[in-house]
Amino acid sequence: MPYRLLRFALSRKHPEPRMFTRHDSLKAGYDVVIIGAGGHGLAAAYYLSRDHGIRNVAVLEKGYLGGGNTGRNTTIIRSNYLTPEGVRFYDESVRLWQDLAVDFDLNLFYSTRGHYTLAHTDSAMRTMRWRAEVNKHFGVRSEAVDAAFVKRGIPSIDMSCGGHAPILGALFHEPGAIARHDAVAWGYGRGADRRGVEIHQQTEVTGIRVQGGRVVGVDTTRGHIATSKVLCAVAGFTPRILDMIGLRTPIYVHPLQAMVSEPVKPWLDPIIVSGSLHVYVSQTARGELVMGASLDPYELHSTRSTLDFVEGLSSHMLDLFPFLGDVKVNRQWAGLADMTPDFAPIMGVTPLEGFYLDAGWGTWGFKATPVCGKTMSHTVATGRNHPLIEGFSLDRFAHYRLTGEKGAASVGH
Amino acid sequence: MYRLEAPAGDWLDRSRPLRFAFEGREYPGYAGDTISSALAAAGVPFLARSFKYHRPRSILSFADHDSNTLFQVDGVPNVRGDVTWLREGMRVSAINTFGGLAGDKARVLDRFGRLLPVGFYYKAFHGRRLFPRWERMFRALTGLGEVSLNAARQATPKRHGFCDVLVIGAGPSGLSAAMAAADNGASVVLVDEALKISGNGAPPALLAAVRGAASISLRPATVAAGYYADHCVALASLDRLTKMRAKAVVFAGGAIEQPAVFRNNDLPGVMLASGALRLMERHGVAPGRRVVVVAANLEAYEACARLGARGVTVSAIVEWRAAPENGPAAAACIARGIPVIQAHAPYEAIRGPDGTVAGLLAVPVNAAGGVESGAPRRIDCDAILMSVGWAPAAQLLLQAGGRMRFSEALQQFVPQELPPGIFAAGRLNGIYDLESRLGDGRRAGSAAAHVGFSAASRPDAADEPRRPTPPLPTVGFDEELRVGERRPSHPFPIVDHPDGKNFVDFDEDLQVKDLENAAQEGFDSSELLKRYSTVGMGPSQGKHSNMNALRVLARFRGVGVERLGLTTARPMYHPVPMKLLAGRSFHPERRTPIDAQHAALGAVWMPAGNWRRPEYYAVPGESRAESIEAEVHAVRSGVGLIDVGTLGKIEVHGPDAGELLDRVYAGKFSGLKIGMTRYGLMLDESGVIVDDGVIARLAAELYYFTTTTGGSATVFRELLRLNALWGLNCALVNVTGHRAAVNFTGPASRDVLRALTDVDLGDAAFPYLAVRCGDVAGVPARLMRVGFVGELGYEIHVPAGFGPTLWRALYEAGRPRGLRAFGVEAQRVLRLEKGHFIVGQDTDGLTDPFEANAMWAVAMQKPFFVGQRSLKILAARGPRQKLVGVELAETARLPKECHLIIDQGQIAGRITSIARSRALNKSIGLAMLSPELAQVGRDIQIRIEDGGMVGGRVAAAIFYDPENRRQKPGAAA
Amino acid sequence: MKIMVCPLNGPRPVAEFAYGGEVRRGPDPDTCSDAEWSDHVFNRSGSPGLKYEWWCHIASGFWFVALRDTTRDAVLATYRADAVRRGLPPAAEETATADAVRRGLPPAGDAT
Repeated sequence: MPYRLLRFALSRKHPEPRMFTRHDSLKAGYDVVIIGAGGHGLAAAYYLSRDHGIRNVAVLEKGYLGGGNTGRNTTIIRSNYLTPEGVRFYDESVRLWQDLAVDFDLNLFYSTRGHYTLAHTDSAMRTMRWRAEVNKHFGVRSEAVDAAFVKRGIPSIDMSCGGHAPILGALFHEPGAIARHDAVAWGYGRGADRRGVEIHQQTEVTGIRVQGGRVVGVDTTRGHIATSKVLCAVAGFTPRILDMIGLRTPIYVHPLQAMVSEPVKPWLDPIIVSGSLHVYVSQTARGELVMGASLDPYELHSTRSTLDFVEGLSSHMLDLFPFLGDVKVNRQWAGLADMTPDFAPIMGVTPLEGFYLDAGWGTWGFKATPVCGKTMSHTVATGRNHPLIEGFSLDRFAHYRLTGEKGAASVGH
Repeated sequence: MYRLEAPAGDWLDRSRPLRFAFEGREYPGYAGDTISSALAAAGVPFLARSFKYHRPRSILSFADHDSNTLFQVDGVPNVRGDVTWLREGMRVSAINTFGGLAGDKARVLDRFGRLLPVGFYYKAFHGRRLFPRWERMFRALTGLGEVSLNAARQATPKRHGFCDVLVIGAGPSGLSAAMAAADNGASVVLVDEALKISGNGAPPALLAAVRGAASISLRPATVAAGYYADHCVALASLDRLTKMRAKAVVFAGGAIEQPAVFRNNDLPGVMLASGALRLMERHGVAPGRRVVVVAANLEAYEACARLGARGVTVSAIVEWRAAPENGPAAAACIARGIPVIQAHAPYEAIRGPDGTVAGLLAVPVNAAGGVESGAPRRIDCDAILMSVGWAPAAQLLLQAGGRMRFSEALQQFVPQELPPGIFAAGRLNGIYDLESRLGDGRRAGSAAAHVGFSAASRPDAADEPRRPTPPLPTVGFDEELRVGERRPSHPFPIVDHPDGKNFVDFDEDLQVKDLENAAQEGFDSSELLKRYSTVGMGPSQGKHSNMNALRVLARFRGVGVERLGLTTARPMYHPVPMKLLAGRSFHPERRTPIDAQHAALGAVWMPAGNWRRPEYYAVPGESRAESIEAEVHAVRSGVGLIDVGTLGKIEVHGPDAGELLDRVYAGKFSGLKIGMTRYGLMLDESGVIVDDGVIARLAAELYYFTTTTGGSATVFRELLRLNALWGLNCALVNVTGHRAAVNFTGPASRDVLRALTDVDLGDAAFPYLAVRCGDVAGVPARLMRVGFVGELGYEIHVPAGFGPTLWRALYEAGRPRGLRAFGVEAQRVLRLEKGHFIVGQDTDGLTDPFEANAMWAVAMQKPFFVGQRSLKILAARGPRQKLVGVELAETARLPKECHLIIDQGQIAGRITSIARSRALNKSIGLAMLSPELAQVGRDIQIRIEDGGMVGGRVAAAIFYDPENRRQKPGAAA
Repeated sequence: MKIMVCPLNGPRPVAEFAYGGEVRRGPDPDTCSDAEWSDHVFNRSGSPGLKYEWWCHIASGFWFVALRDTTRDAVLATYRADAVRRGLPPAAEETATADAVRRGLPPAGDAT
């Protein structure tokens, strides 16, 4: 029995305080200014205040808390990546996820479901095996499985995929999970707020002041702040912030769309991804199917929705699960994905002293929320990149040291 | 509720009675009923249970603006009972109940309401030990209808539609707009979601004129589900999706009636007045025998008149406003003897013994706009109709980029700024008077028809296309036109109650205090309120709840509604089944011209991009491995034949053809001798290998080259771009589909081929790597002596139509020499024996030519080629991995591709290709390996499936015939 | 779906086109430093704004350059590919030759 619910019955007035303090004005200065109150920015603030004793922090958000990609993603959490640096990084994230709800005292509906990345070609099976082997090497529970295993795990799936792309096997990743994305931002936000961090919504950064090669302040729509440390965690808006300090990166921004069905009684337990069909689907705690596909094909800084997206995704969904024809699509939306050429993030110190970057999160950022908070808070507090993010430094491109995460993209014969 | 006698019910055909089942019991209905109307007529007290508290529910909007009446019908989940035709034999049941509608075990949750405030599920249940159990419980309770896992795939067709003006909504303003547009020469499509179009109060003559107009396509039962860029609107009907492209769109979808919020406003029998009118007039079902109308606008009185006309007694009007309604409609009510209880608000609906409404407590409204709850008046009734206000059906208008502002006078959002080609008319535009709506529709339709046309009156517009008459002057956003004397919506139709259960969002079971509590917890902007409380996130997406939620938030914050802003409007307006969006799902598959031959030979297919290719040819009595080995052996010992027609094939013509190739490939081709071929390696700008092929020079200004199967489209497109950019004097032609191609190879190949061709195959006339043109089996062909599989052999390219002829001729000629057709798997083994890498299998997205040992194919001294500058940087950086050959002693435990090479506990590389080689009597492979280990002779350890280690050794990659003797003159007979 | 006006083929659904990225000149590979070259290879101008971009009508293999507002998804002008060689004017609001005038500028991208 969840006894804490009794509190609600026993008091006339709702006994819950504000999760996020409303601050009337900005202070003249802070030790750290974080741009972006999404999951990453709030997580960094949380760990700064909790683990590094740095509380004089302002998180500036031009919209509403968690209103960027944190509130728009398809909530898949996994660590079945291809490269050693990726696997170590995301595995640490999955580890942190386990305790998050208890840390926050907030239910995140973190639900371990098992995750299948379906392979429809030989070359895809090869890649799944590669990922499985690297995962296993680092103790992450993934396995390349055959068609029979897939059918046992997903009994209702059409193994022939509409007759045109039969499923040969999959990468099965046992720790694959989903969670309530908004709640993660709220949990980190409340935790940071309780420890003295100031979250300022409806506050847009308009400029960054630099003197002698170091950050000295931030200009906002609500006034100027003096600070020597700025963490930029704004996903699809990263290039606009970086323009303020003249920093160039490989980041390019394309919309990423998603859609959700009406709630239906639970029938899909695991999380399904198809590499060839470029679709992924899971069923939420509300019974809705949350579905996504590949990135929009051209650069656009708008979260508009398209019809061909829902058409194509619905078609592929019916290839996998032909009986879903009468399930209705309720809503579609989009976010702005900050992509990089090697499908890995850009994290850590930058050539500008005091300016720290957490960006390049493309389509892979939500699952990394906890480990980003942890590593970026360490990096901001110490001024040096946390070991786990060394492979993601901005200067890797200048040295032609891209990560191999996209390296598995194969061209068949 | 009960069925009125004939002739009540305009849509009913009483000559066709129907029978259907609901919750296992049989009920009657008529053709022309919807599921809900038939159930209501039959007096079923309640039709559903609510989402969270499982409270009994019945009809609310009768317009699919709520999810009170979702049913499971014949295996289909979440059917909208209000707007779905009843059919004979339908089996209907309630959704989200445990043990049926009446005995739903989960109804006990209603009693625990105090324990389940907004966001309660975030506040508990997350202890690590017990969360799995709570999660299972939530999962069992969650969701609405049930998916039938063995339902067949339904393929519905799609249609593309085009028109000048799309009008959404066939009420008075929509009909008027359509007519005006048609009168101006536009082709018009007019859609309405109603199952039948009745005009919704428009003059019958107008409806008849629209029906009769040749240039107006009138489409009932059609939902405009979403607006997309450039006036593309998704129209969803029962059986198909139509993608309508218009030059202009008129949004005339009207307004959505909003509920009053008071305790127990969700009882069965409490409904929206407009819903009750539709139920009565279309289906002949009376809302009750003693009906109370909660009124705050003129529509309430008009409703009373219409009810009275059908013999339905209104026993009282509870008039919320301080001042009485004047005018003929109100006078008619008074003349009927309907008591009007002035300046009273609904406070609490009373539940009767059967769970439906039995009475209403009304309380006086005070000067400040609040209520005096001390001495409520009880009014007995069996139906409460709410007529307190409207919200515009503006979802698609917002998706189209329309900006709205809040009108204090109207108490609704109205359009303020519309993008070009977008128009609004009628109640959606804030205009409520019927005559004004008709006029507003004419204005909008006329303006829409003129999009893209000049005004006829401009003197200099003589040559531009025109419409017959000039557009009407724009009046659109005139407040006076909008408001006049009317106040269609109560500013705050919400009454607090200490015991709650005054519902704002019926889909999500959200009461006033839920929203206030959410705001109190800091979720006090409209987006955060929505996400935390889930208001507006149910199946009706806020149609009946967003406006009141905004009012509650505004009151909490002490600001005007205008300050808060609307949440983002997104498709779909009403949810659309995936089958309509998916359509018939065409999956094109490419087949080579020789496809039928492979099928006849027992080919086992594998996908290669969007082609299909034979993986191997199945022979009875042979296992897959045996067949592949036999195919390999045939090539090595006699002759084999493979279809390589899926390769990309490109011609480049012109004086600069060689120059182009020099720039896009890493090797040098401008100096290639006519009649010779050369391997081509293609890099991207960062120096990474992206494709390869063979380039043949057929003439001074003609090259013919191949690409990988998967790369052909992108390579061709990129070459076109570069050629356009550089402006070289050459032209590219993609002949991939124009040519069939085979590889006829093996020590006996030349001997067999001699008899089929006039080309001189002697070593002097046709050396290794040469290309010749001539006839083979009577077919004009290009022959190339290439070495991919390491045997004497000829890649023969012919026009596509001759592919089967060529194949058959070679096949028949080769049979006496033991020819076997061989597939992709055998080819993989053959090329592996020669150490040839496959781009995308042995190389990955980062492999450069240094790492792939392919620098021999790179001519660094050229003035420029794509990737050249990066190679200089990569040379300095040094390789991060090296592609090497690997040998294993013949072992039962053969590693698979992508098994890892482990050195001192670290990952040092992976196997990229591997096979047992009968010709060499050992297992061979290629591997990517860290440079420190990449020395011939070095021992390595490979970790296989079960975690065990298998030993191997780094070897020179050319395993078979390292000196290429098989290609030398005199090598074969 | 969104309409792209192809200079050769006229208005076509945008799915008939392949996007080729921003038109970028790049430094002279023979004289530039490694840092300048890697900047050209990997870095991008990621902010929204008016950009010259490569677009290809797939079925006809026709490449052209479009000046597009990457926030509003509006093409303001189109150019033949050889204009890149001859030199494009600075990316700025221009008199539209393409869809902007005929269709009206599409809705501004919402930031939420």
